[in-house]
Amino acid sequence: MPQHCTPEDLSLAALGEPLSPDDAAHLSGCTACTAEVAGLRRSVEALAIPEFAAPGAPVAPPAHVWAAIAAATGIEAASEAPSAAPAAAPEPAAPLAEVRQLRPRRSRLLLAAAAAGVVGIGIGAAAVALGDRDDDGSTVALASAELDPLGGNDASGQAEVVERPDGSRVLRLELDADAPDEGYLEVWLIDSDVVGMVPVGVVSAGTEELVLPPDIDVGQFPIVDVSVEPLDGDPTHSGVSIARGQLA
Amino acid sequence: MTGVLDRPTAPPRPSPRTRATRVEFVANDVVPLRGATSEPDDAEVGRRFVAGDEAALALAYQRWSGQVHGMAVRAFGPGPDAEDVTQQVFLSAWTGRAGYRPEAGPLPAWLVGVCRHKIADTWAKRDRQRRLTEAAAAEAGSRPAPSARPLDTAVADRVLLLDELDRIDQPQRGIIELAFFEDLTHAQIAVRTGLPLGTVKSHIRRTLERLRSRLEVDGAAALHA
Repeated sequence: MPQHCTPEDLSLAALGEPLSPDDAAHLSGCTACTAEVAGLRRSVEALAIPEFAAPGAPVAPPAHVWAAIAAATGIEAASEAPSAAPAAAPEPAAPLAEVRQLRPRRSRLLLAAAAAGVVGIGIGAAAVALGDRDDDGSTVALASAELDPLGGNDASGQAEVVERPDGSRVLRLELDADAPDEGYLEVWLIDSDVVGMVPVGVVSAGTEELVLPPDIDVGQFPIVDVSVEPLDGDPTHSGVSIARGQLA
Repeated sequence: MTGVLDRPTAPPRPSPRTRATRVEFVANDVVPLRGATSEPDDAEVGRRFVAGDEAALALAYQRWSGQVHGMAVRAFGPGPDAEDVTQQVFLSAWTGRAGYRPEAGPLPAWLVGVCRHKIADTWAKRDRQRRLTEAAAAEAGSRPAPSARPLDTAVADRVLLLDELDRIDQPQRGIIELAFFEDLTHAQIAVRTGLPLGTVKSHIRRTLERLRSRLEVDGAAALHA
């Protein structure tokens, strides 16, 4: 009889996160673990519903809603009706196609990111406008970031997005970090909400150049993040970041 | 780097927390709808709201009624039901403002939480009415007995679970809300909050156990007796 899944992993399964292949295989054949997941899932199914998700696209209520609130609280004298409430809806559906979908159940997440993930676009535009041509005229620096240590590490470095003469872009990374005891270092570009992220390559300390996906908008993913990834076959971010910085 | 040469001694690096990245704790993200830049910031609106400043209610409505109403519209479609929910959210937030604790999260997140309660309450009210109508119809012999149609346990569970969520302290509450309401994985929650992965996992575990216990003790059947 293989070992039972840990209580923590069963909770993640109840939330719909995929388990490691070993745990998933065990779970499919173990009635005790399956029952545990089912018991925990009841509250997930009750609460993790699209109607409760936030943030979502705002909808301005009609004027009579405020009028009723003001009347009920007796404050109409104290303040004029708020100007036709928030028309400033977040720009809808910033293109998210280039974000690698992290999990099968992420559809709601991507919607939320679409509603919220507009912050970085201006930065990207600014970075392009500021672009400096190298002295030899061959490459253009579009944006750069200082990487600061995260989570008690002393890793640090610099990152620079550079356009090559052929129009391709690379992330030029100077990383000062110890090799991890286990696993490897991976570099990510992450959006301002720290929700969407694109892996751009495996690195070690020193200077490296990573070719960026051709269509990626670095303004949309302005955060450069270096993480320690275990060799577990899971392609998603481990959650263990050692250095980070924002492109500008 | 370069700065080291300018300084007589390089002090130990204090691991600054002032990066532009958001690693601070976020209870709930609501897109703020900002007005003019000279207006008080969101935290200031929250403080004035708790203090009972009527202008802060207007400001809060101005900034966050779109978020609240958007949720209501997603639950009920545009129209009187959604408008009623939005109105109730701001009225009950205003009369219950003493219950808002700024240290537990920003005001818009609290308003969104109130909105979830109002939506769940409205669903539960409708479910009760539906069952009363069906019982009356069955009595008149025109429909199968109501027992043929079980009560909607999820509707009742929601009311109960939202109440239990309110009793959970930070950071556990914020963590489970990111999982439930922003659909983040535990790894994304760790990245977002800056908490260690193992901490996030054990908080998730304990919170789900707590919610399960609440359902076992006060589950749907008892609530609808």
